[in-house]
Amino acid sequence: MDESVIKIENLVKYFDGRCVLDGINLKVSQGCVYGLLGRNGAGKTTIIRILLGLDFPTRGQTFLLGDDSSSLPAEIRGRIGCVAEGHNLIQNYKVDKIIKLCKDISLKWDNDFFEHLIETFHLPLDRKVKDLSMGMRAQLNLSLAMATEPELLILDDPTLGLDTVSRRQFLELAAEIIQKQGRTILFCSHILSDVERIAERIGIMAAGKLVVDCPLEELKKRVIKLRIIFPEKTPESLYITEIINQQTDGREMVLTVANWNNQKQTILETFKPSSCTEIPMSLEDIFIECTNPVRKPVFAGVEEIQNA
Amino acid sequence: MLKMLILIKREIYDHLHYFIAALMLSALFIMVSISIAYNFYSEMVPMLIVVFFSVMSLLTIGFTSLGISQMYTDKNRRISAFLSTLPVTRDQILTARIIAGILAILTFYVPLIITTFVLYNLLAPPIPIYEDVLFDISAFFILISIACYCIGLLCGWTPGRFFPSLSGLALACVLVQLVIVKGPGLSISAILILFIIASLIRVRQKFTSTAL
Repeated sequence: MDESVIKIENLVKYFDGRCVLDGINLKVSQGCVYGLLGRNGAGKTTIIRILLGLDFPTRGQTFLLGDDSSSLPAEIRGRIGCVAEGHNLIQNYKVDKIIKLCKDISLKWDNDFFEHLIETFHLPLDRKVKDLSMGMRAQLNLSLAMATEPELLILDDPTLGLDTVSRRQFLELAAEIIQKQGRTILFCSHILSDVERIAERIGIMAAGKLVVDCPLEELKKRVIKLRIIFPEKTPESLYITEIINQQTDGREMVLTVANWNNQKQTILETFKPSSCTEIPMSLEDIFIECTNPVRKPVFAGVEEIQNA
Repeated sequence: MLKMLILIKREIYDHLHYFIAALMLSALFIMVSISIAYNFYSEMVPMLIVVFFSVMSLLTIGFTSLGISQMYTDKNRRISAFLSTLPVTRDQILTARIIAGILAILTFYVPLIITTFVLYNLLAPPIPIYEDVLFDISAFFILISIACYCIGLLCGWTPGRFFPSLSGLALACVLVQLVIVKGPGLSISAILILFIIASLIRVRQKFTSTAL
């Protein structure tokens, strides 16, 4: 039996004839903290909107907690917490009114935890949502989502608009949530350090495709960047597969490769390089290499990093 | 069930001004009805025709704009997008909205109809056919108001505000004129019921199939 909490099958979405999502396949198992990365306009929010049933796919299917997300029953919705990009709260409602509405409608409500959050964030209950700052709206949205004790928490750029202190508070809270067993989190952001802090599995989106889908540590191990200096001119082709990026400058070549192994090492050695040094890569470096639209071979190489 | 009540309450609260206006208008018409019933003379007939058409115009505009307002406010403030993140379905949101709309219509009509029946029993001769006519007219007015409201719901769920509102009002005016020419009765009630059902099906189809 498939126990994926989130399942996306061949998801395609077109907006006005423009392909935004191009055949996305993804499975997130229970208890996983999944970080979905991508540049602005990569299709992260579209995926989340389709998952929540706010938008519809052109082709393909998405499932949340085993149910088709285009027709999620209320009981399933009650097991999902969501912090949407831009924090779509009802703007002309006062904070206490929106809290009451959520409390009355939700299937579960942890009032102690909610009050703890409201106190932590110093949220004013008597102000209208539209009068709150972006950060306060984010905090309110997160508090509302968390109070329902969701099995699945979907966070779409939740730290957008937060100052450094609030972001830190949010991440600490997220870490606290993660510690509660069985919670699945889909965390979507373009702030890589945030994702790196909490995610255990990473998906990188570029040009509507999911070009990377593997555990974070695995990703760091499997993508390497090498500075190779050849005695004379650099060869035109190294005949190495899964090259993500390749830049040449005189005798020097900087090569980013996926799934580096002995075989590739041996092929490289046949070109007798003068030196070959590994350049340490952060998640940000990997992300930039994978999502740079100028470098064409990126996807050919990185597609192999999926489902490790 | 409780969830539906909460959603209906939310809709009523968000459009409270329509309910207050309906109550105030109803009270005004009750006073006018009582005054006419006790002081009727034949010279009042032309004035009553003018009043009738004014009332019809007012109701057409009022109930169409209620539908437009409910849908437009939702789209503009992304209310359903927020509610959809809670354990409610789009069908529940829409059903609550329609129930609230119909309640607004009934808020106007129920006191008025009760008053009319009381006045009839007090003042008119006990001829059963009058009672049937009163019943037909009441049903006619309620159905025509619901039909106008449905046109509002249909026109409100579109981008922009001015042109959909204008086209909704124009369509409602055409509909009202057609049914006035035909006059109250069983056949027009049947046609209005069919119109309302068709409109609600279309509203549901539009509401559940568009991105929030």
